Amino acid sequence: MNRRSILLAASALAGFKGLAPAPSQAQGAAGDPIRPLVLITRPQAAAPAAYQAAELIAQEWRKLGLQVELRPLPNQQMSQVVWYDRQRWDFTMWQMVGRPERGDPDEMVYNLLHSANIATGYNFVGYNNPAYDRLAEAQRSELDQARRQQIVRQVQEVVNQDQPYAFLVHPVNLHAFNKQVFVEASAVKQAGLGIRNFWNWISLTPAGAQRDIIVNSTEPVKATNPFYVSGAPDSWVTDLIWDRLMRVGPDGLPQPWAAERVVQPDATTIDCVLRDGMAFHNGDPVTPEDVVFSFEAPGVGNESPMYRPFVQNIASVTATDAKTVRFKLKRPDAAFRIAVLAKLNIVQKKIWAPVLAEYQGRPENLESYVEARPIGSGPYRFVRSRVNEEVVLEANPNHWAKPKADRWIMRIMTNTEATLGAFRRGEINVLADYFGDPDLVKEMAAQNPRLIAVREEVDIGFQFVGMNLRRAPFSDAAFRRALSAAVNREMMAGAAWNGQAVPANSMVSPALKAWHDAGIVGRVPGGNLDGAKRLLQEAGYRVVGGRLHYPAGVRETTTPFQ
Amino acid sequence: MKRFGARVAHAGFVLWAVATLTFLLFRLMPGDPTLNFLSDSFSEEMRADLLQSFGLDKPLPEQYLIYLGSLLRGDLGVSFLQKRPVLDILLAALPNTAALTVTALVIAYAFGIVAGAFLAFARGTVTEGIAIPAALITRAAPEFWLGMLLLSWLSFAWGIFPSGGANVAGSEFTSEWARLTSVDFLWHLVLPALTLALYLQGLPLLLMRATMLEVLNDEFIVMARMKGLSRWAIVMRHAARNALLPVATAFALGLGSSFGGNVVIETVFSWPGLGRVLVSAVQGADYPLAQGAFIMIAAVLVLMNMVADLLYAWLDPRVSVGARR
Repeated sequence: MNRRSILLAASALAGFKGLAPAPSQAQGAAGDPIRPLVLITRPQAAAPAAYQAAELIAQEWRKLGLQVELRPLPNQQMSQVVWYDRQRWDFTMWQMVGRPERGDPDEMVYNLLHSANIATGYNFVGYNNPAYDRLAEAQRSELDQARRQQIVRQVQEVVNQDQPYAFLVHPVNLHAFNKQVFVEASAVKQAGLGIRNFWNWISLTPAGAQRDIIVNSTEPVKATNPFYVSGAPDSWVTDLIWDRLMRVGPDGLPQPWAAERVVQPDATTIDCVLRDGMAFHNGDPVTPEDVVFSFEAPGVGNESPMYRPFVQNIASVTATDAKTVRFKLKRPDAAFRIAVLAKLNIVQKKIWAPVLAEYQGRPENLESYVEARPIGSGPYRFVRSRVNEEVVLEANPNHWAKPKADRWIMRIMTNTEATLGAFRRGEINVLADYFGDPDLVKEMAAQNPRLIAVREEVDIGFQFVGMNLRRAPFSDAAFRRALSAAVNREMMAGAAWNGQAVPANSMVSPALKAWHDAGIVGRVPGGNLDGAKRLLQEAGYRVVGGRLHYPAGVRETTTPFQ
Repeated sequence: MKRFGARVAHAGFVLWAVATLTFLLFRLMPGDPTLNFLSDSFSEEMRADLLQSFGLDKPLPEQYLIYLGSLLRGDLGVSFLQKRPVLDILLAALPNTAALTVTALVIAYAFGIVAGAFLAFARGTVTEGIAIPAALITRAAPEFWLGMLLLSWLSFAWGIFPSGGANVAGSEFTSEWARLTSVDFLWHLVLPALTLALYLQGLPLLLMRATMLEVLNDEFIVMARMKGLSRWAIVMRHAARNALLPVATAFALGLGSSFGGNVVIETVFSWPGLGRVLVSAVQGADYPLAQGAFIMIAAVLVLMNMVADLLYAWLDPRVSVGARR
């Protein structure tokens, strides 16, 4: 019996008395019994931790008198239901993954829960609170950092009171590297990402003859294109080949990169002064015209569906002198630096302008263009890519931030055990994409203290249960608060995520210290299972015959999820 | 010649059926490829753009006609996710799969034929009592289990072979042929090929043994014994030759089916072959790539079936005579 099974059993026993209704709960008139609710989750084989968490959650919610059924669905089918059948489902397990540009809270705050995104956007739970919308918009246009921090904290408190999601945990990333190959002190952690980050790839310093960074990935690189990213590994590669005006720094905040200075004369004007001496990998200089083109191309027709949303707030981009590019925005945008300047790749106009012209007359778009040898101006140059095997980049000796390693090689390894074996044998020297048992890596490091260094970092992303607010009883905030209170997040982090997670109650991760409300996880209304029962009682819900009923007079009219 | 023409027409029909079923299968599955792009900036407009760029905004019959037309021109389309021609992606993976499959089959059949012949001759002995269950166990054991066992011993514990992949990280080669014939590649090939061979050897071994047992009762074997020929000469020169016919057929069929059936071994050993291309394409609802992979695998299977059929007729003239009658 493993730790997860023991905790599950213990939790079941602890809650056994909760199955019987308290005398006070049975008192008073009750509405209709709440229909059996269906919690959608990915299958155990595909997402073992999330599935285990769903089991634990269902168990706790059954103690409230609910009938909860788990419905594992393959990833595609789950997304199809949640995204395109928004009226149909009750609640679903979901996750937001950490990405560098999510170092700014805007993506999470605005896109996830603003009512503008209810119909077809990411607000699939249907959360609609005008007060929240005002705050989400205000943080977006507030350029004063201190005032914006305050608004973002207010946002988190509103979400805490409304509980449109039952937040579960922020995963803790576990990475490791070979410290016989690299100087240990040269490894750089990025807030919310760990050592799998741009800064680490240019900073890791070889300690001996082995001068290649060999990092694993569980997924293949599908495309190496500055206007198209198909998955996380694609973005790790494009990050290194193409420069950006700014980069999200190790502290999670944007900092100048290809632009040596970024100044903002007024709320809708941003000037970027380019560094001297930058060059593309083919030797041509990086010019302001290249930068202007890089920000104009995604907005041309349907040539770059993936990047077009990011340039829609740009009214104009112009080269004002030999070194400066000026952005005029349609409206103030506090997240512009991180969400746009640190996201869009600088491409060479000489290469891409003819391609853009050609593709405008074709059914395909820029995403379909495959450069035989991608040319950027970044710290690594493309050497080759073999699908499902490896991607090889070499250090760009002419870059002003030349990497310390000679090459960066990403090996695609699909077998978790074999990946660990390869790491121990030195076939890979950075373990950067690992979803296996964390204890195995820690044990390996403990047995080989001179060989392996482990780094852990709370992720920017989070795991949560999305409740469909279009459907009763989730439309009732009191009911949602009770469900959230009944979730034992500490147990979940320990049991489902094997201790590799921290409890969550906010879309802003504790990794983002500047934005996170440090006390929020302790302020879940109700606080625990008993509190959840109290909240339901106060809101008029009653347990009759072991089953939770709506408040008096409320009929069950919602069609169960099939 | 007429028989050959009929076989080709039959193969063409099978491929058309596979192509049609594959086309329908993916479009009837829940979910569509736009779901791969869900993000917090995803919008309905973006979905419409993506569907248009994938050609999925057209009516199904129109999509089907475009698909068949492209197939007839040898155009398998462009991968939704990788944005590269499907044929290029498949041809890049094909040499790895071919190397793995052919090597494993040759080892499995060479071993299976010799061991099967020997065990037929050693019928009723202790050797047979041990060898037959052993062959059955390796045949019945899951491939991933066999693979992990070999990895544990020969790679993790003893460090003899690498943990996965087809080459040492970052290896440079002057050409694809140089890569495929390099010691590095062959060294990486050993464990996956050995695992697949262990899994495959049961069929030729048992088939050879069963056929040999039949042949050994034939009159020409009695005649050979009466002539005073050695046991080895009887088994290998007379009996085995005649028992080889069904094994040769099984080899050709095995070659065809193994091309698409190595998903598990390719995953265990991170081997960059067709199986993994197929799995990631299906998972990502990458219709053109999945269709292309299925059709390529089906084409190899159908071709090998045809080869087996023709080979059998060539090896055993009685089959051809029967057909003419």
